[in-house]
Amino acid sequence: MAAESETRKKVEGFFDKDDHTNNWAVLVCTSRFWFNYRHIANTMSMYRTVKRMGIPDSHIILMLADDVACNPRNSYPATVFDHPRKTTDLYGDNVEVDYRGYEVTVENFIRLLTGRVSADTPRNKRLLTDAKSNVFIYMTGHGGEDFLKFQDSEEINSYDIANAFEQMWEKQRYREILFVIDTCQANTMFSKFYSPNILSIGSSAKGENSYSYFHDYDLGVSVIDRFTYYNLEFFEKVDMASKKTMEDLVSVYNVSLLRSHPGVRTDLFGRRLADTYLTDFFGSVQNIELTAEAFPIGQPESL
Amino acid sequence: MPLPAKLRAVFQRRSDPKTLISVHSERLVVLVSILIVCLLGLPLWWTTTRVYRADLPTDQISRFTPTETLEIPLVFYIDSGSGSDSPLSPHSLSEIEKKATKLIDAQRPSYASNEWPVRYRPVVRHGSAPDIAGHYTLRVHTAKPGAPTSVEFSVGRSASVAVPSKRSATDTLAALISEIIAKEQSETRQSDSRALKYSPEYAITFTLLNEDPINGVTVDWDIEAAVDAYIKPFADMLHPLTKLSITSQVLHDAGPPPIKPVKSENQTILTPDMLTYFVNSPSWNLASTDPISPMLNFILYVPSLQSQPMNIMRKDNRLQTNAFLVSQWGGVAIANLPEQTSHPGSHIVLSRSQLQNYMGIFISQLRELIGIRKTIPLNSHPDSADSMDKITVHQATSTGISSWELDYLLRQWLINTRLNAITTLQSLTQLTESMQNMVVMDEIKTKVDESLNQLNSISHALYPKTNHLQACIHAARASSLAEDAFFDPSMVSLLYFPDQH
Repeated sequence: MAAESETRKKVEGFFDKDDHTNNWAVLVCTSRFWFNYRHIANTMSMYRTVKRMGIPDSHIILMLADDVACNPRNSYPATVFDHPRKTTDLYGDNVEVDYRGYEVTVENFIRLLTGRVSADTPRNKRLLTDAKSNVFIYMTGHGGEDFLKFQDSEEINSYDIANAFEQMWEKQRYREILFVIDTCQANTMFSKFYSPNILSIGSSAKGENSYSYFHDYDLGVSVIDRFTYYNLEFFEKVDMASKKTMEDLVSVYNVSLLRSHPGVRTDLFGRRLADTYLTDFFGSVQNIELTAEAFPIGQPESL
Repeated sequence: MPLPAKLRAVFQRRSDPKTLISVHSERLVVLVSILIVCLLGLPLWWTTTRVYRADLPTDQISRFTPTETLEIPLVFYIDSGSGSDSPLSPHSLSEIEKKATKLIDAQRPSYASNEWPVRYRPVVRHGSAPDIAGHYTLRVHTAKPGAPTSVEFSVGRSASVAVPSKRSATDTLAALISEIIAKEQSETRQSDSRALKYSPEYAITFTLLNEDPINGVTVDWDIEAAVDAYIKPFADMLHPLTKLSITSQVLHDAGPPPIKPVKSENQTILTPDMLTYFVNSPSWNLASTDPISPMLNFILYVPSLQSQPMNIMRKDNRLQTNAFLVSQWGGVAIANLPEQTSHPGSHIVLSRSQLQNYMGIFISQLRELIGIRKTIPLNSHPDSADSMDKITVHQATSTGISSWELDYLLRQWLINTRLNAITTLQSLTQLTESMQNMVVMDEIKTKVDESLNQLNSISHALYPKTNHLQACIHAARASSLAEDAFFDPSMVSLLYFPDQH
């Protein structure tokens, strides 16, 4: 009796989202020292958002140049707050920091993006993206025109980042990039990009500063920056099944509240903002296909 | 006074205006010494501060262009057996080859100018195929009167063809060969978004997730025996090209999935759109320790007793397998425990035979994730083939992959890794040419040279002696060497005086 193999047609339930199969996030805080608490809080709030929306730790590279949660000056040890009311502990109990302290350097950042890490780098420190990955890159710290300061000792240039993205494009290491930067004169950092499919958002224009928001009198430092705070406020109302678009996000930016002019660069980006869902970058995308039947493994062959 | 006189004579000679050289002698000495310093010093400075750049064979690399078509021959051996009715003559063999080639070329998809074209072509011979990838035997015999023209593909590299009469077999065989090849040729053109790219190693993890052990049962499984029995034969078939590293874990207290299934009368229901969020729980640790191999996760999820049975419903019908695949990530199967044995507090161990069905689901998902498309070599739906009335394809129930499917996979990997090697090498040369400040070490040159060697060996492995496995091995090596060279840590050009800083 021949084992008739019936046609295994694709079962309905295959959701194909335009050739995009995974999301990654690279969150970089470049400042150290206690008084830069707010930069670490910025990055941690983005981390929390991205995890809440569904990206797993294995797809998040978190780079923190300093540890404020366990800083001896922190009167609320093992916590990082973004508001003086201390309602949300950003640090939580499920944090995975991939690059910490002095490992956050310009060289490591460029190596991470271009994939040229040394052979003994563990998996959580590698950006294992491919041609179908959307990458969300967030940077915060002290910056100026065309540069961003790392660790108070070196700088990264906007040309360096532009070149790194070009190398990523050459080797098909991304499908689309969302680049968000919260520093002084942030918009200059994305002015030199030239690779396709990059959407950039910056907190302030050339010649402007980005300002911090709440000042916490218990901790003695500012706990969050304005731009990141308003982004966070927007995201707290969004969950992983949301259908909101980038247009919705960008339209909440209020110049008088931010006290700076945020910039959005869309000329390199192929789609309209109103057609780009937040979940395209912030959520976790899973293309599902129902399995119609099991393979008859181990059953007697009937030849 | 001899000394002053002598001195005066020297100065007089010095200030003798007769020769230009003597007038400007000091200046000349200075000028000549500056010139000597410059002439010697400039090259010295240049060579000592020059970046070391090994010579890459850029012209050889640029020779690969999309104008050259990759020709892949498939060799079919017609075995008409012994018997008095005319065995196929050499003339009819070449006729079959010509007809099949014509039919295949007619159906060949068109390639744009920047795409890398591939052309499959048949080679038809007499006899029996050797056990080499790319060689297939078609055993022709006369069908019983009234029986349909049929073909039965076996698990090995052979098929049995029943024709009404051997004399008229040439047209049927040509059509059959052309259908097999044309189908693969058109599928090569379409990209498969479910499958992972080729990698020399895959890290596969089997995870048993128990949602709620506290109010329910504790579970365990005899995974080692199950993997040995059902997955290892599959891994062995793929062994020459890729290694499947298999690990397993049990998460005893996984907690509920991020999405709440809908409770119905005596079951809980998951609909397909809920499944996209099923796997995202932060408390399910599905990380891999391997630094670079692509990961495939297969999850066997045991819902809490209150939620059992948990069923996936598709349009009011229960999905029989209760399993789904996640593109480029892995698969999930839901294990509803039998009611009789599962009361709170009991400890359930899934034995190897109980795991057989789930392993079958995982194998089916693994096949798709590796890149084995369905219906190889032909769709067994009777209407799909013009040449045959009945098509039977035997499935390899002992290994999980038949030789026809393995060869298909080898050819897909050959095409893709060859293309990857070429584009990586071309990106590498473009990069080194555009950044003249970048150091190019000797090891990179060695890898690039070796990668080129492997690329050039591909055509030797395809013609005149066809061995698809060997060709694929060359292509895979070329690709991995090219990537090693491209991603070498020394290729980051951060000098202390780059131009833009």
